[in-house]
Amino acid sequence: MMRRIVVVLGLPVALVTVWWVASAGSTDFYRPSLQRIVQAFAETWFGPRLVEEALPSLIRLGLGYAIALTVGIAVGVAIGSSTRTRAVTEPVLEFLRAIPPPILVPIIMLFAGIGDAMKVIVIVLGCVWPILLNTVEGVRAIDEVLADTCRIYRVKPLRHLVLRAASPQIMTGARQALSVGIILMVISEMVAASSGLGFTVVQFQRGFQIPEMWSGVLLLGLIGVLLAGVFHLAERRILVWHHGSRDADRR
Amino acid sequence: MLIVDRLSKVYDADGRRVEALADISFSVAEGEFACVVGPSGCGKTTLLRCLAGLLTPTSGTATVHGKLAVVFQEYGRSLFPWLRVRDNVGLPLKGLSKRESEAKVRDALEAVGLTDAAGAYPWQLSGGMQQRVAIARAIAYGPMVLLMDEPFAAVDAQTRADLEDLIRDVWHRLGVTLLFITHDIDESVYLGQRVIVLSAAPSRVAEDIIIDLPDERDQLTTRGDARFVELRGRVYAQIQKAKRGSTP
Repeated sequence: MMRRIVVVLGLPVALVTVWWVASAGSTDFYRPSLQRIVQAFAETWFGPRLVEEALPSLIRLGLGYAIALTVGIAVGVAIGSSTRTRAVTEPVLEFLRAIPPPILVPIIMLFAGIGDAMKVIVIVLGCVWPILLNTVEGVRAIDEVLADTCRIYRVKPLRHLVLRAASPQIMTGARQALSVGIILMVISEMVAASSGLGFTVVQFQRGFQIPEMWSGVLLLGLIGVLLAGVFHLAERRILVWHHGSRDADRR
Repeated sequence: MLIVDRLSKVYDADGRRVEALADISFSVAEGEFACVVGPSGCGKTTLLRCLAGLLTPTSGTATVHGKLAVVFQEYGRSLFPWLRVRDNVGLPLKGLSKRESEAKVRDALEAVGLTDAAGAYPWQLSGGMQQRVAIARAIAYGPMVLLMDEPFAAVDAQTRADLEDLIRDVWHRLGVTLLFITHDIDESVYLGQRVIVLSAAPSRVAEDIIIDLPDERDQLTTRGDARFVELRGRVYAQIQKAKRGSTP
């Protein structure tokens, strides 16, 4: 247990210490001391601002991510279940996936404005591809013997077979989509917004509030780590059987 | 019961035409235990898949009267790895109260001697135990007809002997119509009341042999029985003849 803690926390603690010591007493305006940044962090974020700025960002992310999950899994199952649909759609999907989603921000602004709808749409359009393509792969690889078993015993395949069998792949796509979603959340707010973390960081930068700006970057990093942690817990729960059977195969 | 009438199956893929079943007719009476045996590649599995409704015959019919359950050869792939043993067995049960279905699952697991494994995942069990779970699922489903496709081909010899006796026991208890497909001549003679010998592909029924061994069978005495040896010799000779027939 002790060993694990040392392994997990060792490097972060060392890096923070190095940063702290190296930046101590810094007079460089653009690179303030870590002590100064931490101070700004407490002043900036321990208060109503956390709710006013972080919450809108997280709601947009949550909404966009949820829509992308629903659409990606539904369309992915439909495409993955049929060899012909897969053959027809694959080139188009590869093209759509290859478009870097941030480029869509100015375009979507044209018809969705600069409100929340635009940001949610951007997040959906970025997140949906990894989920969709991984779902297609997962559904394609479903074992035929299990499919036959469902037919013989008249078990509904969608719920009992397709979604469960594809769940490891779906989770892989969902994990990629989560990091894409966080990036797009920030980018869409940096370009055009009146609230949100990306917007706030840009505001601080324009106002030359450099320690505050850095503290916003730290906060985004922490939120990323937190969301990844929550995701990891959910995945462990959903894929208990998958990790177990994989380990059993290795033995 | 189960009726196969002038069944033929031709696979037509990428311009290559493979005739698996030429013209097969036989029937298995209600409550009867029949084995199908034939040289490898003779279309045994094709026959089973037609009977199970997983494959459409090219001509003729394969009909099963009554509720059907199937036990596949690939036990590891026919169990749902995300469900525990008891949920795998209970999955096909519908329209029952929770108590009733739990009782059915418990009885089925008891019948195959796996009461203790109810809470395990399939991949935590040995191959023989996994196949027992698949058999328990078939029992709990309460079929009229049970099809088995080389169910013991992938387990070791001792486990196999145990499972053979288990299947005879299950058949006695449930009174189901049972069609057991195998490539193992000894197994076919030991298990059933009848052995249907298929010729090499394109298959026909080469011979239909009544196994008139006493109903009480056990691995040691039955297999040493003079009549068993004689019947096995007959099936073996038929299969040799069937093989030669296909490669003139």
